[in-house]
Amino acid sequence: MNANKTSLLWTTVAVLYALVLLFPVLWMATMMVKPADVMFARPTEFLFTPTLANFDYVIAEGFAWNLLTSFVLCTVSTVLVVLIGTPAAYAFARFEMKGKDDLFLFILASRMGPPVCLVIPFYLIFTKVGLLDTFAGLTLAYMTFNLSFYVWVLRSFCRDLPVELEEAAALEGWSRPQIFMRVVFPLLRNGIVATAVLCFIFAWNEFLFAFMLGGDRIQTLPVAIPKLITAQGVRWGEVAVVGIVALLPVLAVVLLLQRHIVRGLTLGAVKG
Amino acid sequence: MSVITETAVAPARERRRSGRGVWYPYLLIAPTMITLVLVSLVPFVYAIYLSFHKAKYGRVGDFIGFDNYAKLLADPQFWNSLKVAGLFVGIAVPIEFMIGLGGALILNAGVRGRSVLVPLLFIPTMMAPVVVGLLWKIMLAGSWGLISYNLLERFGWLGDQSIFASPDLALYALMFVDIWQWSPFMMLAFFAGLQALPLGPYRAAAVDGASTLRVFFKITLPMMIPLLAVIGLLRLIDAFKVFDTIFILTGGGPGVATQSPSVLAYKMTFEFWNIGEASALAVLVWAAFFVFCNVFYQIAKKKLNAF
Repeated sequence: MNANKTSLLWTTVAVLYALVLLFPVLWMATMMVKPADVMFARPTEFLFTPTLANFDYVIAEGFAWNLLTSFVLCTVSTVLVVLIGTPAAYAFARFEMKGKDDLFLFILASRMGPPVCLVIPFYLIFTKVGLLDTFAGLTLAYMTFNLSFYVWVLRSFCRDLPVELEEAAALEGWSRPQIFMRVVFPLLRNGIVATAVLCFIFAWNEFLFAFMLGGDRIQTLPVAIPKLITAQGVRWGEVAVVGIVALLPVLAVVLLLQRHIVRGLTLGAVKG
Repeated sequence: MSVITETAVAPARERRRSGRGVWYPYLLIAPTMITLVLVSLVPFVYAIYLSFHKAKYGRVGDFIGFDNYAKLLADPQFWNSLKVAGLFVGIAVPIEFMIGLGGALILNAGVRGRSVLVPLLFIPTMMAPVVVGLLWKIMLAGSWGLISYNLLERFGWLGDQSIFASPDLALYALMFVDIWQWSPFMMLAFFAGLQALPLGPYRAAAVDGASTLRVFFKITLPMMIPLLAVIGLLRLIDAFKVFDTIFILTGGGPGVATQSPSVLAYKMTFEFWNIGEASALAVLVWAAFFVFCNVFYQIAKKKLNAF
């Protein structure tokens, strides 16, 4: 009886917290269909006739192209990360290597370094070799934080796999590539998907690299938002539309991946 | 630590026939290491190179030793940026930590419908910082922001000034946004840690009739300390490099009131093209991060047995 009451109390507290926390996001969602004249009316208007005008403007301004750019860029860079990083994560989890700790720390440092420190040398190097504002350049730059992140986190998934299966396969005389493809890979699939999806989101949300190393021909969604700041002021309804569209993949991810997000964001230190 | 030794994986026969077995793990990590050398080590080394050279407006000139560092250390903006970051990290992170820990304990105390709540709580953390910035502009900016208008302006607390344009308040507004974004993450990470604790000690405490507070301080806290340290440290590192939300919300202003080292490095590079000095700043920040990074790694590895 008493336990029920406390549980009810804490549930109420938690639900209230979630509501307060998400209120700004919900408010932004209503702004998508708000006419411009009541957007920041004083006093605040809570009731209004919904309009789709904001969507029309966003489409007319070519945001579909930015959406496509973001999507392709994030997909390509994530697929590359998976192809390059999966064997490395496995090797770090399973084998003894000389200087493994140092190599591993180097990977962590790549992930942890402030992006602004990287963007300076990147900018100068890219200008010299003609990678500035190219698809290849941005894909490469995203490797810095995503490849290191991927290897680091996937390694923790690898370590969860029982060694015995691989040992048994080795005794059967399977070659090591065979063991990796037929034993390890199927077991690791969930971990790979979870980690890769987080990489996709990091790339999706990324601003500084996309802003400084891309920006003109290669213009991702976060970088395109400032287009809505016009001489007549900020088009807030349109900002809301783009902001919520940018949020959609994130929503999908939190719903599908919840158990793995904590592990990912703590770089594998905490198992969700 | 589960490690397959060479003998376990490679059949002895194969190993004797060719020396290839020993190279297998190096082969597996080679693509990753080559890529990371290219996208992480090369830029870093280049930044070090730039920091020792006269470099302005994209032209790299003569070797000038430590001049850039000397100039940087004599620059009040540099010390100001450290102060800004220090305040930001020193106030926002402990608050996030407390809210996180409190929330985690509440979540763990039998909150219903956690399968719905938990994903919702992840939303702020996973949002693009640019969108977070715009969101809070809508809420707090000017005298027209939803919250600034309804809660502050109407009661004459703020006058006509935007919180983000106030030299006294801008930094605290940014902290508030950071707390909004990251407290839920701390909460869920701590919660995951609480869920993984062994039940044995709690049963024993229940038999002894220990009070809730006593259980927390004698059982929960000691077992959670490595986890708290690792997550706190991670958040500290991330909070120190905050850039996007500051860039969107205040651009480092008003004046230099919210100019963190990241924003300063950005401005030095892309507004004043003072590349040599900006590189010196980048190298110093990087070096400091490496130390933090190492501490994170050692604690997580030894205490949490995580890596």
